[in-house]
Amino acid sequence: MRFVSATSEQAAAPDRELLIELVGLHAQAMLRMPWVQTMLVLGIGLFIYSYIKPAVFLAWGALTIGIEVLRARFAAGVLKRGYHIDPKRTHATFVGFAALAGAAITAAAVMFLPRLPLLHQALFGAILFAIPAAGVAVSQSSPYILAAYAISILVPASVIWALLHPSQALGLGALTVLYLVVIILVAADGEKLLLRSVTIRHERDRLVRDLEQRNADVQAAVGKAEQSAQARSRVLAAASHDLRQPLHALSVYSAVLASKPAPDLLDEVSENIDQIVRALGNLLNGLLDLSRLSAGYYVPEQQNVALERLISAVCAEYQQPAAQKSLLLTHELTPVQVLGDPVAIGRIARNLIDNAIKYTERGTIRVTTHSEFLGHAPLAVLSVFDTGKGIPASEQTRIFEEFYQLDNPGRDRSKGVGLGLAIVQRLCELIGAKISVESVVGEGTCFRVTMPAILGETTSSEPSLPMANDESLRGKSMYVVDDELDILNSMRSLLGVWGVRVRTGDSSNAADRIFEQYGPPDLLIVDLRLGEEEHGARLAERLQQTYGSFPVLIITGETSSEALRQANERSYTLLQKPIAAEVLRRAIVTAVNSSRTVTL
Amino acid sequence: MKILIVDDHALFRAGLRMLLATIGRNVVCLEAATVAEALTLIVQHTDMQLCLLDLTLKNEQGFAAIQAIKNTAPQVAIVVVSGCEDSATIRSCIDSGAMSFIPKSVPPEVLTRALQRVLTGAVYLPDQVVSALEVSPQQLPLTPRQTQVLEGLSRGLPSKLIARELGLSEHTVREYIALIFQALGVHNRTEAVIKASQLQRPEPTAAARG
Repeated sequence: MRFVSATSEQAAAPDRELLIELVGLHAQAMLRMPWVQTMLVLGIGLFIYSYIKPAVFLAWGALTIGIEVLRARFAAGVLKRGYHIDPKRTHATFVGFAALAGAAITAAAVMFLPRLPLLHQALFGAILFAIPAAGVAVSQSSPYILAAYAISILVPASVIWALLHPSQALGLGALTVLYLVVIILVAADGEKLLLRSVTIRHERDRLVRDLEQRNADVQAAVGKAEQSAQARSRVLAAASHDLRQPLHALSVYSAVLASKPAPDLLDEVSENIDQIVRALGNLLNGLLDLSRLSAGYYVPEQQNVALERLISAVCAEYQQPAAQKSLLLTHELTPVQVLGDPVAIGRIARNLIDNAIKYTERGTIRVTTHSEFLGHAPLAVLSVFDTGKGIPASEQTRIFEEFYQLDNPGRDRSKGVGLGLAIVQRLCELIGAKISVESVVGEGTCFRVTMPAILGETTSSEPSLPMANDESLRGKSMYVVDDELDILNSMRSLLGVWGVRVRTGDSSNAADRIFEQYGPPDLLIVDLRLGEEEHGARLAERLQQTYGSFPVLIITGETSSEALRQANERSYTLLQKPIAAEVLRRAIVTAVNSSRTVTL
Repeated sequence: MKILIVDDHALFRAGLRMLLATIGRNVVCLEAATVAEALTLIVQHTDMQLCLLDLTLKNEQGFAAIQAIKNTAPQVAIVVVSGCEDSATIRSCIDSGAMSFIPKSVPPEVLTRALQRVLTGAVYLPDQVVSALEVSPQQLPLTPRQTQVLEGLSRGLPSKLIARELGLSEHTVREYIALIFQALGVHNRTEAVIKASQLQRPEPTAAARG
């Protein structure tokens, strides 16, 4: 609904806001109307009561006041609901009320005017013609409300006047039309004014919001900068202590050497100096690593990593250090593929295992990898368990702070420099992994690193699961959409072995036809690239919108993060080609089962 | 001479032990990583003469440790060897009963010299503390007896023990102490110790290095 033609400045202000504003103002004015109308009725009654039957006059008074009361009650309701009203409908109702109120007033003209002497007729006519002028203010510049009100008063009143005084009909008619046009134009101007003020207020609110937002942004940035400055000075303070300590020790050894010690002391001196220098080196390397990570110089790679192989290699490195402390280092590595930076992941694993060895006096360090699902998102989990002394709950967040070391207030550097976990945490942030710790004091600790996994080919030799004799997929209906016929054929035969009812299509159109004919399946397997405009994830999404929710597996030969992103956006499970049968089966079972609880 | 080294950094402890063995004669070093260990060793070895103590002196615990050792064995002279080196901390250590203070940050040759001095029973304090003490104009030479009492005072001995060591009455020792304060122009033990470190310096214009 538009009251006036849109100008450039209005275009920004939503009509709905304006209408709500206008209707609200009007409703506010309407609250007073029963009292105004009562005064008007009393006023008119005072000078015409001797010419009119009291019953008729009272009936008219009751009618017109009654309508105003109804209108006021409606207005009160509108005000109460505030912004939740339907402004168009409310406005239309007010237009209707205005017409009704006007008609009720003008009924007086029809009934009373012929019975009044000339002077009273003139006075009454003047009153009737004045009322719409007051209406300009009361209508709050809605030309529609005003027009309804004014026309319903002026037209019948002037018709009656013309009938009573035919000689004045022409002039009166012309003047009435002129009057109507002028007051409606005045109202329209008023509306423009209101519109402009609403627009200005909107603009102001938007600016204030922008400013507040910017202010909040600035404050957040300042807070972050302060935090990082604090962290930096904390690291610096701790580092300066930790750097000075070995320097002080070196100074003592220098003094020993300068005072020409007994030859049998020299071995110990050199051994100790060696230890101190190593510790210093480790500390400096750790600090450099940390500052490199913090400064964002290290950009992690994105590549396919067989986590279990990487971790297996890392475990091999630590067999000897573990054996030196008579610890058993074991691993249970389930194949899982991740997209990430092998250097960063390797460093995380090294630091965690190194830490575990450092803080465990007897028992076992156990390293595991496996995959799990968070909803439809596959996750790779790396866990390092130890049977060390454990970390009290109160310390569990502090252990990731730089230079924080459990039970090492003296900062004995043989226990390491206290940067390992801080580095692990920074690396995890960089590669989008999450690290958590669980620990029972006296029993041991488990660090768990979770990162996004890719379901795909795993080349390591995993004991194969019984497949053909598993009946869980028998009779399920699955559609496979891929533009490569070889894939369709092999999928058809593979799924067929598992007892799946397979339908295949080589394009979006083929998929549409299958869906039209057979409805939604228990699972849709679709290639991300279909050699046409619509990629697999979008096709699946469109089909889900039409046919309701059903599980979807996306397969792709791409390793670019763009392909991942597109599928991840829709939280579809992604399988990397080529897909090992067993991986496919696991993904299918997971997808089909999870669809019972999770709606896509 | 039996010396106890208290430091939580094992390699530093080992270094000190070797340095003391090299520069001292007949030095026997015992090592402790904590104050509790130190107190146990002090109780076991009643002939302990010197304690080199490294403490995190930022909080009150450091000074409390000095007092704890003093209470357990008043005859042990305490030399604080610390990474801290601000004057207030050093004075507080002396207030608590320590005899000397060697900052860990001193160059190796100064460390050696400082340890040599404390091994002879002399007081060592860094220059900054010594020079901060206002030198009073009237400074009278001490009699040999007064020097002996000042040494006992520097080691942190209570007047009763000084009296026993020198075969004097406690009352006489108190009178000596008053005379020493007057002669040195100082007002308390800490100032007297600082003054003593100045007097005991091999070269009187020792502002060069300390």
